[in-house]
Amino acid sequence: MMTGNTNSKIAFAHLTSRLRQTLVATMSVTFGISMYIFMNGFMNGVNNIQADLSFSTMAHIRVYNDLPEDRTNLLKQHTNPDQVINIRNAKVIQYTDGIKNSEKILDRLKKQPEITGVTPQVNINVFYRNGAIKINGVLSGIEVDSEDRLFKTSTFVQQGSWNDLSYRTDGTIIGAGLAKKMSLKLNDNLVVSTADGVTKSFRIIGIFKTTIAGVDNTKAYIKINSARQLLSENSSFVTDVQVNIRDYSKAREVADKLASSIPYKVEAWQVANGQMEATTELRNILAMAVSMTILIVAGFGIYNIMNMTVNEKIREIAILKAMGFEGNDIVQIFLLQSLVIGIIGGTAGIVFGFLISTAVNHIPFQVATLQTLPMTFYLKDYTLSFIFGMLTTFIAGYLPAKKASTIDPVIIIRG
Amino acid sequence: MENNIALSVNNLNKYFYDPETFQVLKNISFDVKKGEFLTLIGKSGSGKSTMLYVLSTMDTDYEGELFINRTKLTGKTQNELAAFRNAYIGFVFQFHYLLPEFSAIDNVMLPALKLGLKSKEEIKENAFQNLSLLGLKEQAYKSANKLSGGQQQRVAIARALINNPSIIMGDEPTGNLDSKNTRNVFEIFKELTKERGQTIIAVTHDEEFAQNSDRTIELADGELLRSE
Repeated sequence: MMTGNTNSKIAFAHLTSRLRQTLVATMSVTFGISMYIFMNGFMNGVNNIQADLSFSTMAHIRVYNDLPEDRTNLLKQHTNPDQVINIRNAKVIQYTDGIKNSEKILDRLKKQPEITGVTPQVNINVFYRNGAIKINGVLSGIEVDSEDRLFKTSTFVQQGSWNDLSYRTDGTIIGAGLAKKMSLKLNDNLVVSTADGVTKSFRIIGIFKTTIAGVDNTKAYIKINSARQLLSENSSFVTDVQVNIRDYSKAREVADKLASSIPYKVEAWQVANGQMEATTELRNILAMAVSMTILIVAGFGIYNIMNMTVNEKIREIAILKAMGFEGNDIVQIFLLQSLVIGIIGGTAGIVFGFLISTAVNHIPFQVATLQTLPMTFYLKDYTLSFIFGMLTTFIAGYLPAKKASTIDPVIIIRG
Repeated sequence: MENNIALSVNNLNKYFYDPETFQVLKNISFDVKKGEFLTLIGKSGSGKSTMLYVLSTMDTDYEGELFINRTKLTGKTQNELAAFRNAYIGFVFQFHYLLPEFSAIDNVMLPALKLGLKSKEEIKENAFQNLSLLGLKEQAYKSANKLSGGQQQRVAIARALINNPSIIMGDEPTGNLDSKNTRNVFEIFKELTKERGQTIIAVTHDEEFAQNSDRTIELADGELLRSE
């Protein structure tokens, strides 16, 4: 009962007698942990920004009416291979464009627990005209609120306001590139004509810029009902339903599940963008590799310095053993030191890591829609690094102490 | 075995393996009586210190048998030996070996605190008495690394005595002391053997110290030469 007290007294004496060394050991823990926190925060920040940018114009899942399958040889099933068939100028004579009764599908989608957002769109290929200039582009009829919830479109609007669109049936918000090409400003008129020859004029009430040239140069938003009118369709007609889910990496699975209950094409983003899936996967692998590397490097640093601390005290361990201190006492003494170094170093590491992350998060980086360098502050990273730091310190204190506690004191004394 | 035997060794053999196999102790057997003041002498390299470490249970790499207070210690685990040393053996190293961070009195108290039989106050009182006995009253609360070599040696002796061990072993316990303090320590040892029946085994180079002890064992090349 007395020895617990005595052991902690010895441990404390060791820690305070060589303050410099204790400080170095503590700092190695602090450094390892803060480095891990900062690098993970930065990697995750970069990854998230890349995902955010990618999904600023693209949903996780898209539901649309695909063109009918290949019908170039309708007689194939009904003839023998040795019969010769010649069909010329095959034409589809009946084809339903878009999704006619969207309410049912929207309802069904909204009930899925993994789905976080749904927005219907009526996308029309049009010609934009202003005087002699004619530009081919996409006119996107959207629901103002749900569109913004999915794509945060309002954050890209540079002039005017996104919400104005909700009460301006004749209003449109157009891409900055498109406005420039057509020499159009706010409050000017934009004339669009559809493939069917319908022409209508809209008032420009906003200009947006996503920094994705392909979008900025060709896209304009109008209210979804105005788009329906343009096509002479009823109020439940949509061309696309865009769906966001909780975890974008699971889009494929969710799409497969939905496909069975929805009679239209349900397409996950990975299917439409193979190259993006590859880069996302690679980014995740890279992040994991970096995180593991830091963990190993930091772990070895902590281990080395703790090992040194114990080895410097090895002679005292021998004296303690000679006086009758048992293996458990020795282990207790050094684990206690590890614990103190781990807790102080770990706490300092968390604070220091947070400070570095915050500082880097304030470094200006005005590229595309970014203002400063990206950074995440996940509780998970902070907890994990602390646990890891404590564990390494513990093992690094335990192993050499355990070893020293099992050998004859004379071996240490004789050197 | 007689009842008044404090320590006995039977057929003790010990080898060093590095750099090559070399027999340090050859077939050594002897008994030490309770209350005996025994000195071990021999040239350096004769194996006397090595033998003392075996007797003190701090070295378990030997052949033969070791008994202290009729308990067979050969083959016991590290923890059992540590507990045994704590209660029954006091050891004084050739070079004092105190914990430098602790004061003299804290160093002396350590083995008793580990044993845990007495209250802290009692232990402190005993430790202070031991230090006074060795002329270190003034130095009791000084940090161990602030003391002179001779003072540290005496603190180490005071520490070895704190648990009233049945055997006190010393590897040249007076090696760092001047003649006055050597005599003082000798008197203390003598008194411990006579009054309290504690046994003393000390390695020494000091002829006078050896001559005045109860019995002297001489080692040469790992063999027992003289056991008067």
